Amino acid sequence: MSELHIAATERTPEILLSANNGTFSMKGESFPEDVSAFYGQVIVAVDQLALNLTKPLTVDVAMIYINSSSIKAMFRIFEGLEAVRKNGQAVSITWHHQEDDDIMQELGEDFKDRFPDLPIEVNAA
Amino acid sequence: MSANSDDTLFDLYDREKRLLAEGPDLLKSSDENELRAFSERLFERFAKVVRENEDLTRHSDRQEQRLVKLNQNLKLQTRELDQRKTELENLSHQLSKYLPPQIHQALFEGKHDTQITTQRKKLTVFFSDIKNFTQTSESLQPEALTEYLNEYFSEMTQIALNYGATIDKYMGDAMMVFFGDPESHGVREDARACVEMALSMLERLRSLQKRWHSIGFENPFEIRIGINTGYCNVGNFGSEQRLSYTIIGGEVNLAQRLESNADVGGILMSYETFVHVEDLVVAEKRGAIRMKGIARDVQTYSITGRKTESSPSVFNFDHPAGVSIDLDPAVLDAEVRSALADKLSELASQLREP
Repeated sequence: MSELHIAATERTPEILLSANNGTFSMKGESFPEDVSAFYGQVIVAVDQLALNLTKPLTVDVAMIYINSSSIKAMFRIFEGLEAVRKNGQAVSITWHHQEDDDIMQELGEDFKDRFPDLPIEVNAA
Repeated sequence: MSANSDDTLFDLYDREKRLLAEGPDLLKSSDENELRAFSERLFERFAKVVRENEDLTRHSDRQEQRLVKLNQNLKLQTRELDQRKTELENLSHQLSKYLPPQIHQALFEGKHDTQITTQRKKLTVFFSDIKNFTQTSESLQPEALTEYLNEYFSEMTQIALNYGATIDKYMGDAMMVFFGDPESHGVREDARACVEMALSMLERLRSLQKRWHSIGFENPFEIRIGINTGYCNVGNFGSEQRLSYTIIGGEVNLAQRLESNADVGGILMSYETFVHVEDLVVAEKRGAIRMKGIARDVQTYSITGRKTESSPSVFNFDHPAGVSIDLDPAVLDAEVRSALADKLSELASQLREP
């Protein structure tokens, strides 16, 4: 079963993924030196969920800043979440943003448009 | 599984690159089904890439806009800070005229404490006053008086600053400065700097007097100077609302008393100052003075000039026959010097007799 615990750094978000609990969260800033190296492990873990998750999945995304490469990685992660849903597990996603952060709010809305089959709720913190 | 088992080798564009790699061989195929399947996968991926690209470009533009806005705000803030800095510099420059420069500098460097605290320190205190200022001022037009007085204080202040004095205050036509706080070069050096400063002031005043006289100031200012070295209370006096950095104590009053007893155009100093400068100046011993708050009789000395090579200096003579003379004519008054000269002359005659 997929389990991932990555502590936040100045450049990378905290990642917590537990297939046992049916939870997945990404919180913090994201501008890693090597986006593929950092997000590769997350993409692999999310893709595995599509194969072995046995309960509904609750996803929380709370990014403060995210660079373009990280958004590309995020697309791949959401494609993985789409696969989880297609394989029969319920997925509910909450996209958190700070009250005055219209950039992160609009990015959440973009993801909502981009992945219409995923239930994404964009919420101000 | 879309990723390589080794995370570090994961490539975000692996799907697109895989299609690109398959392309050249597949396009050579004449199998229509194979070509159609490839075209569909290619189309699906292409559509995703276009949408991703749209989202990324939009996000990038938003970030750029925010950056531009931040940059504009930063420029505005920098302009405001520059303007504020200029205002503060001007204010500081204006304030510096009301404060001793050492205190002004220490305040701006955050080194000066504005608590009501004082300390006892051995300082050399200087007082000067213009002789008959009231009568002199009555004989001048107010504009002329202001001009001469400002010139006098400007010149004296510049000399004081050149010698590192702390300018305590101006009181009408009087000036009070001291050496030894907040910076000190030691009691002896402070006393010497003060006396050198006083001599320079008198020299400068003499040339000012000539110039003033030549332009119609009939009886130019003349001053008296008093100098004393002793323990004073120095620091911030006053209240939480208003402070004065100044000195108080009996030794300060003594300096003022010495000034009032000084010759016109002269410097009268206490013995406590004299001992530090006797090799620098020619001084005449004057009477002792008593003052309330000072337990001792204060011996005074009047400076008659700088000591040069030709000035009488301390005379030392030692002979194995048991003769030893240690004489400093500068500390003797005229009467004693004359009596001593007669006695030595008589002794010289006796010694020359066969």
